[in-house]
Amino acid sequence: MTVKRTSWFIVTGAIAGFAGTVAFHLGAAAPATGASGAPGGSGSPSARGSAAAGAGASGSPSAGGGAVHRATGPDVNFSYGTIAVRVTVRGSRIVDVSVAAIHVTEPESGRISGQAIPVLRSEVLDAQSASIHSVSGATYTSRGYISSLNAALNDLRTKAAGG
Amino acid sequence: MTALATGITHTEEVMGTVISFTAAPGGLPAAAVRAAIAAACQGLHRADEVFSTWIAGSPVSRLRRGEVTVAELPPEVAAEVAEVLDLCQRAKAASRGWFDPWAMPGGLDPTGLVKGWAVERAANSLRRAGVAAALVNGGGDLTAFGSPAPEKPGQAGQPGLPGQPGLPWRVGIRHPWRADALACVVNVRAAIATSASYERGAHLIDPATGLPVTAAASASVTGPSLAIADALATALAVGGDDALAAIGETDGYEGYLIRADGSEVDTGGMEFTN
Repeated sequence: MTVKRTSWFIVTGAIAGFAGTVAFHLGAAAPATGASGAPGGSGSPSARGSAAAGAGASGSPSAGGGAVHRATGPDVNFSYGTIAVRVTVRGSRIVDVSVAAIHVTEPESGRISGQAIPVLRSEVLDAQSASIHSVSGATYTSRGYISSLNAALNDLRTKAAGG
Repeated sequence: MTALATGITHTEEVMGTVISFTAAPGGLPAAAVRAAIAAACQGLHRADEVFSTWIAGSPVSRLRRGEVTVAELPPEVAAEVAEVLDLCQRAKAASRGWFDPWAMPGGLDPTGLVKGWAVERAANSLRRAGVAAALVNGGGDLTAFGSPAPEKPGQAGQPGLPGQPGLPWRVGIRHPWRADALACVVNVRAAIATSASYERGAHLIDPATGLPVTAAASASVTGPSLAIADALATALAVGGDDALAAIGETDGYEGYLIRADGSEVDTGGMEFTN
Protein backbone atom coordinates (compact mmCIF):
# COMPACT_ATOMS: atom_id res chain seq x y z
CA MET A 1 0.00 0.00 0.00
CA THR A 2 1.28 3.42 -0.87
CA VAL A 3 0.24 6.22 1.34
CA LYS A 4 0.60 9.82 0.32
CA ARG A 5 2.66 11.44 2.96
CA THR A 6 2.88 15.12 3.59
CA SER A 7 4.93 17.06 6.04
CA TRP A 8 2.95 19.69 7.86
CA PHE A 9 3.74 22.84 9.63
CA ILE A 10 2.21 23.38 12.99
CA VAL A 11 -0.75 25.70 13.06
CA THR A 12 -1.97 26.30 16.54
CA GLY A 13 -5.56 27.23 16.84
CA ALA A 14 -4.63 30.40 18.64
CA ILE A 15 -2.29 31.67 15.98
CA ALA A 16 -4.51 30.50 13.18
CA GLY A 17 -7.17 32.54 14.88
CA PHE A 18 -5.00 35.60 14.70
CA ALA A 19 -4.25 35.09 11.03
CA GLY A 20 -7.97 34.75 10.41
CA THR A 21 -8.56 37.85 12.47
CA VAL A 22 -6.09 39.90 10.51
CA ALA A 23 -7.68 38.87 7.24
CA PHE A 24 -11.05 39.78 8.70
CA HIS A 25 -10.06 43.15 10.12
CA LEU A 26 -7.99 44.36 7.27
CA GLY A 27 -10.93 43.83 4.99
CA ALA A 28 -10.21 42.89 1.37
CA ALA A 29 -10.65 39.33 0.25
CA ALA A 30 -7.55 37.27 0.82
CA PRO A 31 -5.65 36.40 -2.33
CA ALA A 32 -5.60 32.84 -3.58
CA THR A 33 -3.10 30.74 -1.73
CA GLY A 34 -0.58 29.44 -4.19
CA ALA A 35 2.33 28.85 -1.90
CA SER A 36 1.14 26.56 0.83
CA GLY A 37 3.89 25.17 2.98
CA ALA A 38 3.16 21.52 2.51
CA PRO A 39 5.99 19.84 0.66
CA GLY A 40 5.20 16.25 -0.18
CA GLY A 41 7.10 13.09 0.43
CA SER A 42 6.37 9.43 0.89
CA GLY A 43 6.39 7.02 3.74
CA SER A 44 4.35 4.41 5.50
CA PRO A 45 1.78 4.72 8.25
CA SER A 46 4.11 2.95 10.64
CA ALA A 47 6.53 5.86 10.38
CA ARG A 48 4.06 8.35 11.74
CA GLY A 49 6.38 9.68 14.38
CA SER A 50 9.05 10.68 11.94
CA ALA A 51 7.21 13.40 10.07
CA ALA A 52 9.93 15.85 9.18
CA ALA A 53 9.73 19.56 8.82
CA GLY A 54 9.28 20.86 5.34
CA ALA A 55 11.22 23.81 4.11
CA GLY A 56 9.98 27.04 2.68
CA ALA A 57 7.19 28.87 4.44
CA SER A 58 4.42 30.30 2.34
CA GLY A 59 3.75 33.93 1.85
CA SER A 60 6.80 35.30 0.11
CA PRO A 61 7.06 39.08 0.32
CA SER A 62 6.36 39.34 -3.41
CA ALA A 63 3.01 37.58 -3.11
CA GLY A 64 -0.18 39.58 -3.40
CA GLY A 65 -0.73 43.27 -3.95
CA GLY A 66 -1.43 46.22 -1.71
CA ALA A 67 0.62 48.50 0.46
CA VAL A 68 3.21 47.06 2.81
CA HIS A 69 2.89 47.93 6.49
CA ARG A 70 5.13 46.93 9.35
CA ALA A 71 4.71 47.12 13.10
CA THR A 72 6.65 45.87 16.09
CA GLY A 73 4.85 44.75 19.22
CA PRO A 74 6.03 45.55 22.73
CA ASP A 75 8.22 43.27 24.85
CA VAL A 76 5.87 40.74 26.35
CA ASN A 77 6.72 38.29 29.09
CA PHE A 78 6.64 34.63 28.28
CA SER A 79 7.58 31.66 30.36
CA TYR A 80 11.32 32.00 29.82
CA GLY A 81 11.87 35.73 29.33
CA THR A 82 10.51 38.48 27.09
CA ILE A 83 9.79 38.63 23.39
CA ALA A 84 8.83 41.33 20.89
CA VAL A 85 7.37 40.39 17.53
CA ARG A 86 7.57 42.33 14.27
CA VAL A 87 4.89 41.77 11.65
CA THR A 88 4.75 42.78 7.99
CA VAL A 89 1.43 42.98 6.22
CA ARG A 90 0.81 43.52 2.51
CA GLY A 91 -2.77 44.37 1.77
CA SER A 92 -4.79 41.95 3.90
CA ARG A 93 -2.07 39.34 4.16
CA ILE A 94 0.70 38.75 6.66
CA VAL A 95 3.83 38.30 4.57
CA ASP A 96 6.41 38.09 7.32
CA VAL A 97 6.72 37.71 11.05
CA SER A 98 10.03 38.04 12.83
CA VAL A 99 11.36 38.36 16.32
CA ALA A 100 12.44 41.96 16.94
CA ALA A 101 13.88 41.20 20.36
CA ILE A 102 14.06 38.27 22.68
CA HIS A 103 15.56 38.05 26.15
CA VAL A 104 15.78 34.63 27.69
CA THR A 105 16.27 34.62 31.43
CA GLU A 106 16.67 30.89 31.89
CA PRO A 107 19.75 29.63 30.01
CA GLU A 108 18.38 26.14 29.50
CA SER A 109 15.35 27.53 27.73
CA GLY A 110 17.42 28.90 24.85
CA ARG A 111 16.95 25.61 23.08
CA ILE A 112 13.19 25.82 23.52
CA SER A 113 13.01 29.36 22.18
CA GLY A 114 15.34 28.67 19.28
CA GLN A 115 13.17 25.76 18.33
CA ALA A 116 9.78 27.28 18.88
CA ILE A 117 10.14 30.69 17.33
CA PRO A 118 10.85 29.69 13.72
CA VAL A 119 7.87 27.39 14.08
CA LEU A 120 5.63 30.16 15.28
CA ARG A 121 6.61 32.19 12.24
CA SER A 122 5.62 29.26 10.06
CA GLU A 123 2.38 28.97 11.98
CA VAL A 124 1.39 32.54 11.36
CA LEU A 125 2.27 32.42 7.68
CA ASP A 126 0.79 29.02 7.03
CA ALA A 127 -2.37 29.61 9.00
CA GLN A 128 -3.49 31.47 5.93
CA SER A 129 -3.13 28.48 3.66
CA ALA A 130 -2.74 25.32 5.67
CA SER A 131 -5.06 22.47 4.97
CA ILE A 132 -5.49 21.42 8.54
CA HIS A 133 -7.99 23.02 10.87
CA SER A 134 -6.09 23.02 14.12
CA VAL A 135 -3.37 21.36 16.15
CA SER A 136 -3.55 19.29 19.30
CA GLY A 137 -0.68 19.70 21.75
CA ALA A 138 0.19 23.09 23.12
CA THR A 139 3.18 25.30 22.38
CA TYR A 140 3.82 27.09 25.62
CA THR A 141 6.00 29.84 24.20
CA SER A 142 3.21 30.91 21.92
CA ARG A 143 1.40 32.87 24.60
CA GLY A 144 3.90 35.73 24.79
CA TYR A 145 4.42 35.57 21.05
CA ILE A 146 0.70 35.90 20.47
CA SER A 147 0.41 38.83 22.86
CA SER A 148 3.17 40.77 21.13
CA LEU A 149 1.91 39.84 17.67
CA ASN A 150 -1.59 40.96 18.57
CA ALA A 151 -0.30 44.30 19.80
CA ALA A 152 1.67 44.77 16.57
CA LEU A 153 -1.40 43.95 14.50
CA ASN A 154 -3.55 46.31 16.52
CA ASP A 155 -0.99 49.01 15.87
CA LEU A 156 -1.24 48.35 12.13
CA ARG A 157 -5.03 48.49 12.28
CA THR A 158 -4.91 51.78 14.13
CA LYS A 159 -2.59 53.26 11.53
CA ALA A 160 -4.81 51.90 8.74
CA ALA A 161 -7.90 53.45 10.34
CA GLY A 162 -6.13 56.76 10.86
CA GLY A 163 -5.30 57.03 7.20
CA MET B 1 -8.91 30.48 1.61
CA THR B 2 -9.45 28.11 4.46
CA ALA B 3 -12.19 27.42 6.90
CA LEU B 4 -10.23 29.31 9.50
CA ALA B 5 -10.09 32.46 7.43
CA THR B 6 -13.75 32.34 6.43
CA GLY B 7 -14.99 31.94 9.98
CA ILE B 8 -15.31 34.36 12.86
CA THR B 9 -12.35 34.01 15.17
CA HIS B 10 -11.51 35.06 18.69
CA THR B 11 -8.75 34.30 21.16
CA GLU B 12 -9.03 34.57 24.91
CA GLU B 13 -6.29 34.30 27.54
CA VAL B 14 -7.71 32.29 30.42
CA MET B 15 -6.88 29.25 32.56
CA GLY B 16 -3.17 29.81 32.04
CA THR B 17 -3.39 29.36 28.28
CA VAL B 18 -4.88 30.79 25.11
CA ILE B 19 -8.31 29.55 24.03
CA SER B 20 -9.11 30.12 20.36
CA PHE B 21 -12.54 30.09 18.77
CA THR B 22 -13.29 29.64 15.08
CA ALA B 23 -16.99 29.78 14.30
CA ALA B 24 -18.91 29.47 11.04
CA PRO B 25 -22.08 31.45 11.63
CA GLY B 26 -24.34 29.70 9.11
CA GLY B 27 -27.49 31.81 9.07
CA LEU B 28 -26.65 33.64 12.30
CA PRO B 29 -25.69 37.34 12.17
CA ALA B 30 -22.00 37.92 12.92
CA ALA B 31 -22.93 40.05 15.93
CA ALA B 32 -24.89 37.15 17.42
CA VAL B 33 -21.92 34.83 16.93
CA ARG B 34 -19.61 37.33 18.62
CA ALA B 35 -22.07 37.67 21.51
CA ALA B 36 -22.19 33.89 21.87
CA ILE B 37 -18.38 33.73 21.92
CA ALA B 38 -18.26 36.51 24.54
CA ALA B 39 -20.73 34.59 26.73
CA ALA B 40 -18.68 31.42 26.30
CA CYS B 41 -15.56 33.31 27.42
CA GLN B 42 -17.36 34.52 30.54
CA GLY B 43 -18.04 30.86 31.31
CA LEU B 44 -14.35 30.05 30.89
CA HIS B 45 -13.29 32.79 33.30
CA ARG B 46 -15.90 31.67 35.80
CA ALA B 47 -14.69 28.07 35.56
CA ASP B 48 -11.16 29.32 36.23
CA GLU B 49 -12.33 31.19 39.32
CA VAL B 50 -14.10 28.09 40.66
CA PHE B 51 -11.55 25.41 39.81
CA SER B 52 -8.16 27.11 39.91
CA THR B 53 -5.74 25.51 42.33
CA TRP B 54 -3.54 28.62 41.99
CA ILE B 55 -6.15 31.00 43.39
CA ALA B 56 -5.97 30.44 47.15
CA GLY B 57 -9.57 31.48 47.75
CA SER B 58 -11.15 29.49 44.90
CA PRO B 59 -13.83 26.97 45.90
CA VAL B 60 -11.63 24.07 44.78
CA SER B 61 -8.66 25.41 46.76
CA ARG B 62 -10.92 25.58 49.82
CA LEU B 63 -12.07 22.00 49.16
CA ARG B 64 -8.44 20.90 48.90
CA ARG B 65 -7.67 22.39 52.30
CA GLY B 66 -10.76 20.77 53.76
CA GLU B 67 -12.26 24.13 54.72
CA VAL B 68 -15.57 23.32 53.06
CA THR B 69 -17.45 20.36 51.65
CA VAL B 70 -19.14 20.39 48.24
CA ALA B 71 -22.52 20.64 49.96
CA GLU B 72 -21.44 23.82 51.77
CA LEU B 73 -20.59 25.65 48.55
CA PRO B 74 -23.11 28.04 46.96
CA PRO B 75 -25.65 25.88 45.08
CA GLU B 76 -24.59 26.93 41.58
CA VAL B 77 -20.92 26.32 42.33
CA ALA B 78 -21.71 23.06 44.11
CA ALA B 79 -23.56 21.80 41.02
CA GLU B 80 -20.57 22.55 38.79
CA VAL B 81 -18.10 20.96 41.19
CA ALA B 82 -20.30 17.89 41.56
CA GLU B 83 -20.56 17.58 37.77
CA VAL B 84 -16.78 17.78 37.38
CA LEU B 85 -16.13 15.31 40.20
CA ASP B 86 -18.63 12.90 38.64
CA LEU B 87 -16.74 13.13 35.34
CA CYS B 88 -13.48 12.63 37.25
CA GLN B 89 -14.91 9.45 38.73
CA ARG B 90 -15.84 8.20 35.25
CA ALA B 91 -12.39 9.05 33.88
CA LYS B 92 -10.70 7.37 36.84
CA ALA B 93 -12.63 4.16 36.20
CA ALA B 94 -12.08 4.30 32.41
CA SER B 95 -8.33 4.73 32.91
CA ARG B 96 -7.92 1.97 35.53
CA GLY B 97 -6.94 4.63 38.02
CA TRP B 98 -4.18 6.22 35.95
CA PHE B 99 -6.17 9.42 36.19
CA ASP B 100 -6.97 10.00 39.85
CA PRO B 101 -7.61 13.54 41.13
CA TRP B 102 -8.00 12.17 44.66
CA ALA B 103 -4.43 10.79 44.73
CA MET B 104 -2.59 14.02 43.89
CA PRO B 105 -0.04 15.58 46.23
CA GLY B 106 -1.67 18.47 48.08
CA GLY B 107 -5.16 17.03 47.90
CA LEU B 108 -8.02 16.87 45.41
CA ASP B 109 -6.85 18.14 42.01
CA PRO B 110 -9.27 17.84 39.07
CA THR B 111 -7.06 20.10 36.90
CA GLY B 112 -6.41 17.31 34.38
CA LEU B 113 -10.09 17.32 33.42
CA VAL B 114 -11.24 20.86 34.14
CA LYS B 115 -9.83 22.64 31.10
CA GLY B 116 -11.35 20.06 28.77
CA TRP B 117 -14.66 20.33 30.59
CA ALA B 118 -14.66 24.13 30.40
CA VAL B 119 -13.75 24.18 26.70
CA GLU B 120 -16.42 21.57 25.97
CA ARG B 121 -18.97 23.69 27.82
CA ALA B 122 -17.91 26.75 25.82
CA ALA B 123 -18.41 24.87 22.55
CA ASN B 124 -21.80 23.59 23.71
CA SER B 125 -22.91 27.12 24.50
CA LEU B 126 -22.07 28.19 20.93
CA ARG B 127 -24.06 25.28 19.58
CA ARG B 128 -27.06 26.17 21.74
CA ALA B 129 -26.83 29.78 20.51
CA GLY B 130 -27.37 28.51 16.96
CA VAL B 131 -23.81 28.67 15.63
CA ALA B 132 -23.62 26.27 12.67
CA ALA B 133 -20.11 24.97 13.18
CA ALA B 134 -17.22 25.82 15.45
CA LEU B 135 -13.86 24.67 16.70
CA VAL B 136 -12.63 25.65 20.14
CA ASN B 137 -8.96 24.97 20.93
CA GLY B 138 -7.92 25.27 24.56
CA GLY B 139 -4.13 25.38 24.43
CA GLY B 140 -3.93 22.25 22.33
CA ASP B 141 -7.01 20.42 23.61
CA LEU B 142 -9.89 21.01 21.26
CA THR B 143 -13.48 20.19 20.41
CA ALA B 144 -15.56 20.95 17.35
CA PHE B 145 -19.10 20.54 16.08
CA GLY B 146 -20.76 20.87 12.70
CA SER B 147 -18.59 20.44 9.63
CA PRO B 148 -15.54 22.42 8.63
CA ALA B 149 -15.94 24.68 5.62
CA PRO B 150 -15.30 23.15 2.23
CA GLU B 151 -12.11 24.37 0.60
CA LYS B 152 -13.91 26.91 -1.55
CA PRO B 153 -13.97 30.67 -1.15
CA GLY B 154 -17.08 32.24 0.23
CA GLN B 155 -18.51 29.15 1.84
CA ALA B 156 -18.76 28.84 5.58
CA GLY B 157 -19.05 25.64 7.56
CA GLN B 158 -22.24 23.71 7.69
CA PRO B 159 -24.09 21.89 10.41
CA GLY B 160 -24.07 18.11 10.23
CA LEU B 161 -27.14 16.58 8.65
CA PRO B 162 -29.73 15.40 11.17
CA GLY B 163 -28.90 11.92 12.34
CA GLN B 164 -25.54 11.97 10.61
CA PRO B 165 -22.17 13.01 11.90
CA GLY B 166 -20.61 16.06 10.26
CA LEU B 167 -17.52 15.93 8.12
CA PRO B 168 -14.39 15.40 10.19
CA TRP B 169 -12.01 18.18 11.21
CA ARG B 170 -8.38 17.57 10.29
CA VAL B 171 -6.21 18.07 13.33
CA GLY B 172 -2.44 17.84 13.47
CA ILE B 173 -0.83 16.32 16.54
CA ARG B 174 2.27 18.22 17.51
CA HIS B 175 5.48 16.26 17.17
CA PRO B 176 6.94 15.71 20.64
CA TRP B 177 10.54 16.56 19.76
CA ARG B 178 10.39 18.51 16.54
CA ALA B 179 8.46 21.65 17.21
CA ASP B 180 8.41 22.38 13.48
CA ALA B 181 6.63 19.19 12.51
CA LEU B 182 3.51 17.25 13.24
CA ALA B 183 3.62 13.64 14.37
CA CYS B 184 0.50 12.93 12.33
CA VAL B 185 -2.86 14.29 11.23
CA VAL B 186 -6.10 12.73 12.45
CA ASN B 187 -9.74 13.20 11.55
CA VAL B 188 -11.61 14.42 14.58
CA ARG B 189 -15.40 14.33 14.87
CA ALA B 190 -15.74 15.79 18.35
CA ALA B 191 -12.78 16.13 20.69
CA ILE B 192 -9.05 15.49 20.92
CA ALA B 193 -6.66 16.16 23.79
CA THR B 194 -2.89 15.77 23.79
CA SER B 195 -0.80 15.54 26.92
CA ALA B 196 2.96 15.72 26.93
CA SER B 197 5.85 17.07 28.95
CA TYR B 198 7.75 18.84 26.15
CA GLU B 199 6.87 22.40 27.08
CA ARG B 200 5.95 22.59 30.72
CA GLY B 201 8.42 20.08 32.09
CA ALA B 202 7.45 17.13 34.21
CA HIS B 203 4.01 18.22 35.37
CA LEU B 204 2.42 14.78 35.26
CA ILE B 205 2.03 12.90 38.53
CA ASP B 206 1.77 9.13 38.93
CA PRO B 207 -1.25 8.55 41.22
CA ALA B 208 0.36 5.39 42.57
CA THR B 209 3.54 7.07 43.80
CA GLY B 210 2.73 10.79 43.90
CA LEU B 211 5.92 11.42 41.92
CA PRO B 212 6.41 13.12 38.54
CA VAL B 213 6.73 10.70 35.63
CA THR B 214 7.34 10.78 31.91
CA ALA B 215 6.14 7.46 30.55
CA ALA B 216 5.20 9.00 27.23
CA ALA B 217 6.58 11.58 24.86
CA SER B 218 3.07 12.40 23.70
CA ALA B 219 -0.36 11.00 24.49
CA SER B 220 -3.49 11.83 22.51
CA VAL B 221 -7.09 10.75 23.04
CA THR B 222 -10.10 11.33 20.80
CA GLY B 223 -13.72 10.88 21.79
CA PRO B 224 -17.14 12.45 22.19
CA SER B 225 -16.35 14.43 25.36
CA LEU B 226 -13.34 16.73 25.67
CA ALA B 227 -13.57 16.59 29.47
CA ILE B 228 -13.08 12.82 29.42
CA ALA B 229 -10.56 12.94 26.54
CA ASP B 230 -8.48 15.50 28.46
CA ALA B 231 -8.38 13.31 31.57
CA LEU B 232 -7.67 10.15 29.57
CA ALA B 233 -4.80 11.89 27.72
CA THR B 234 -3.31 12.77 31.10
CA ALA B 235 -3.76 9.14 32.17
CA LEU B 236 -2.18 7.88 28.95
CA ALA B 237 0.86 10.12 29.38
CA VAL B 238 1.39 8.71 32.88
CA GLY B 239 0.22 5.12 32.45
CA GLY B 240 1.58 4.40 28.98
CA ASP B 241 0.61 1.02 27.52
CA ASP B 242 -1.57 -0.05 30.45
CA ALA B 243 -3.61 3.14 30.19
CA LEU B 244 -3.81 2.68 26.41
CA ALA B 245 -5.33 -0.76 26.91
CA ALA B 246 -7.91 0.75 29.26
CA ILE B 247 -8.80 3.46 26.74
CA GLY B 248 -9.18 0.81 24.03
CA GLU B 249 -11.91 -0.78 26.15
CA THR B 250 -13.77 2.51 26.60
CA ASP B 251 -16.63 3.02 24.12
CA GLY B 252 -16.14 5.95 21.80
CA TYR B 253 -12.57 6.77 22.84
CA GLU B 254 -9.31 6.08 21.00
CA GLY B 255 -5.74 6.61 22.12
CA TYR B 256 -2.42 7.28 20.38
CA LEU B 257 0.80 7.02 22.32
CA ILE B 258 4.33 8.05 21.38
CA ARG B 259 6.46 6.30 23.97
CA ALA B 260 9.52 7.88 25.54
CA ASP B 261 11.72 5.87 23.16
CA GLY B 262 9.88 7.25 20.14
CA SER B 263 7.95 4.10 19.29
CA GLU B 264 4.25 4.49 18.62
CA VAL B 265 1.12 2.54 19.38
CA ASP B 266 -2.59 3.24 19.12
CA THR B 267 -5.90 1.63 19.97
CA GLY B 268 -6.72 0.89 16.34
CA GLY B 269 -9.74 3.12 15.84
CA MET B 270 -8.14 6.52 15.49
CA GLU B 271 -8.60 7.99 12.00
CA PHE B 272 -5.09 8.84 10.83
CA THR B 273 -5.07 10.69 7.51
CA ASN B 274 -1.44 10.17 6.62
